[in-house]
Amino acid sequence: MNRQLSGFRAWMWQRVSAVYLALYIAYVLLRLVVSPPGDHDALVAWMGGLPMWLATAAFLVMLLLHAWVGVRDVVLDYLKPAPLRLLVLLAVQAFLLACGLWALAVLVKLL
Amino acid sequence: MHFEVYRYNPDTDAEPTMQAFDVEVERGMMLRDVLLQIKEKDESFAFRHSCGEGVCGSDGVNVNGSNHLACITPVAEFREPVVIRPFPGRPVIRDLVVDMSDFYAQYQAVDPWLKRKDPVPEQESLQTPEQRARLDGLWECIMCGCCSTSCPSFWWNPDKFLGPQALLTAWRFLADSRDQGGEERLDALDGPYKLFRCHTIMNCVEACPKHLNPTEAIGHIRNLMLKKSV
Amino acid sequence: MTLIRKNFDVLIIGAGGAGLNAAVQLAGADLRVAVVSKVFPTRSHTVAAQGGVNAALGNVDEDKWHWHMFDTVKGSDYLGDQDAIEFMCREAIPTVYELEHNGVPFSRLDNGRIYQRPFGGQSRHFGKEQATRTCAAADRTGHAILHTLYQQNLKARSHFFTEYFAIDLLQDQEGGVTGALVMDISSGEPMVLNARATLLATGGCGQVFRTTSNAHINTGDGMAMALRAGVPLQDMEFFQFHPTGVAGRGMLITEASRGEGGYLINKEGERFMERYAPSAKDLASRDVVARAIVTEVREGRGCGPNGDHVLLKVDHLGEETVARRLPGIRETSKIFVGIDPAFEPIPVYPTAHYVMGGIPSDRFGRVVAPARHGPEEVVPGLYAAGECACVSVHGANRLGGNSLLDILVFGRLSGLDILDYLEEHPRHGQTDSASEEKAMARFQRFDREGDGIPVAELRAELQKVMEDHAGVFRTEEIMQEGLDRMRSIRDRLDEVRLKDRSRTFNTARVEAFELENLVDVGLSIVTSALHRQESRGAHSRPDFPERDDRNWMRHSLYFLEDDRLDYKPVRTRPLSVDSFPPKERVY
Repeated sequence: MNRQLSGFRAWMWQRVSAVYLALYIAYVLLRLVVSPPGDHDALVAWMGGLPMWLATAAFLVMLLLHAWVGVRDVVLDYLKPAPLRLLVLLAVQAFLLACGLWALAVLVKLL
Repeated sequence: MHFEVYRYNPDTDAEPTMQAFDVEVERGMMLRDVLLQIKEKDESFAFRHSCGEGVCGSDGVNVNGSNHLACITPVAEFREPVVIRPFPGRPVIRDLVVDMSDFYAQYQAVDPWLKRKDPVPEQESLQTPEQRARLDGLWECIMCGCCSTSCPSFWWNPDKFLGPQALLTAWRFLADSRDQGGEERLDALDGPYKLFRCHTIMNCVEACPKHLNPTEAIGHIRNLMLKKSV
Repeated sequence: MTLIRKNFDVLIIGAGGAGLNAAVQLAGADLRVAVVSKVFPTRSHTVAAQGGVNAALGNVDEDKWHWHMFDTVKGSDYLGDQDAIEFMCREAIPTVYELEHNGVPFSRLDNGRIYQRPFGGQSRHFGKEQATRTCAAADRTGHAILHTLYQQNLKARSHFFTEYFAIDLLQDQEGGVTGALVMDISSGEPMVLNARATLLATGGCGQVFRTTSNAHINTGDGMAMALRAGVPLQDMEFFQFHPTGVAGRGMLITEASRGEGGYLINKEGERFMERYAPSAKDLASRDVVARAIVTEVREGRGCGPNGDHVLLKVDHLGEETVARRLPGIRETSKIFVGIDPAFEPIPVYPTAHYVMGGIPSDRFGRVVAPARHGPEEVVPGLYAAGECACVSVHGANRLGGNSLLDILVFGRLSGLDILDYLEEHPRHGQTDSASEEKAMARFQRFDREGDGIPVAELRAELQKVMEDHAGVFRTEEIMQEGLDRMRSIRDRLDEVRLKDRSRTFNTARVEAFELENLVDVGLSIVTSALHRQESRGAHSRPDFPERDDRNWMRHSLYFLEDDRLDYKPVRTRPLSVDSFPPKERVY
């Protein structure tokens, strides 16, 4: 992940993901305001529809990507000692992985 | 006006101290004139300076928290007490004199010379006024260091992040129609540190005494990378 | 204290245009080259050169190096050596092309060629119409060139000793130069740098005057080192006062402002240069314009509340031209005078700018001095180039745009000639221990304890004496008084004491060394000036108003020992063309 996603590529993906996150959130908020789902079942039905499900799955990937690049930038800036830096990066990776798996479980249940 | 000046001589002092001076300020007086007057009162006060007109780039200092080139900075504009310190983030050699080796090494790291692959013509190589105009705002850099030493990213990673000055220089060569090293320059700038520690904080733009814009230059480099990658 | 010693093939002292261009020539040759500079290379004063560099490229009008040569000979008031001048004007053309190839961001003409502008004292057809010969990068040409040369040295991986101050030359028993004693400014420690060839490229000495366009670092260090090594200084009486310094402050307003169409006016709004130089007007030679300004002010036609300056108008050129062609002086005027020259005239007055004289050298950069067989015997192992040298291509007055040319051409040639010299001299010379002791004594001179005169006080006095007694107009009486005062300053140098004797980055100590250099160089100026009883170029004597070719068409040589003067003939024979015989000099 490091090797592939550093420097220019990381910078570019951070921006691409930011745009996607912004669009997705804007759409979801708009939808919630314009025609809010009446109850939990309506919400599940909306989120479980294939286009929305795919968009949400992509959102999840983009969010993890964005968070990873961002947090890693902060770590590169502020944490100098290599062992500490490795430890923190591993912790962040573990945390993001856990979040990702949890979200995946939710997504799978929606299907 | 009332001045407080950072003093540290490793031969005699265990710790840096701030020393107070009152200097009679006349109209049109520059900060360098004040430093010279302080030096007349106390010859042990050390700072670099030379041309006195903002072209040699020797006398960059930190005043009330921001970096300035002393010889072209009118003192009247500062709030008292005027606190004069060495550039932040650099090892202090003595008083206002700092070690700029990292800064110069980063400049050297961008291969700051014209790269040509074709044989040179017998006369000058041609360049239109429009092509030449792209270099304006880039080649005038005097390497005073006000920008890079005001950049937090450079404070954290002075050995790995090129810093605004070197990146401005990198773009000066990328933008030159005569340069044929574009690909290798862009390849060399990639990676997590060299260019991409820049978080567009823009302290550099504010600090530059020659009104150059390193942030814009960095943006141009990123855009060029983007263009090359799609 | 054990003295650190290092061996190099070549030692270059000074990292301005001349030193850096020499270093570039040597870098490719698999030699150990050390470049010593008391400041980071791009802080050298070449960076402040504004207007440009002369070369008969003919990009705007037809041009020939032969015309350039004529202008330089005439500008020198026939004191320049015509072989060296021919050489420089021919070399100018490939030199500028080489700079361009190395990346100098010259301004451009619409057809893509290097931009050239008119400058003072330059003509076509041997003195007829104005020439357009000065190659420029806006009005920051020196900056563009110095940075490019530094970059070329980085590319070539030259070895720099940055912020090292040269104390004195080291010599063998025969007087040949074997290197130098230097001081690491940041640690205050001395170091011996042995070299088979040593190049002095230390620049000018404008700091001998109070009002000067020169930087704080221009203290004639190399010249004074040469003097102390027994080498004379040539033609030191010829000091150029640039006509247009910012009034009262001294920083330079480039001649390019007049080249681009600006002109001078007095308090009556009169374009007074028309009276002094009917055809060239504001683009007459610098000595002519500087004298005109001083005369206007002395005769009561100066501007301002004290009538102590004249005005330089560029506002009629329009804001766009000022912004594009003169951005540097616009910035300087805004900062230091608080006016925008695009809309208001700039107050100007002559400012000490350039020393035509210096260490006598030939066109290969070799230092030459009178010895057993003649007036121009090579000093083994010693070279000089740039403002500290006197080739002599500027004679009694330098043309604008010829100083960058001088440093580049002769810096390069020195480098190339050193390559030949090293082949013939494969071994290091043996430094005479007396020479090293002398240098060490100088290094320790300011370690003396006790109270005494502060450096700044004596320096201020020296600068005032030189300004009052060796300025634009000089009479016997004024100069004799100046000489007496300068000798008194030299005597009091022994009473100078430092309050701060610490080691680390002691700028007070450096300034004390520099003061000592200024005293020697100042004395060479006043002594040479007092004895030259004629007016020629920048040396203007109301008591001897005429040029006297019969008695004085010769170079002065000042020796430190007993303040002795000697003279040598001007080389009037060029290399390949006919000599330009002395003529009356009108613009």
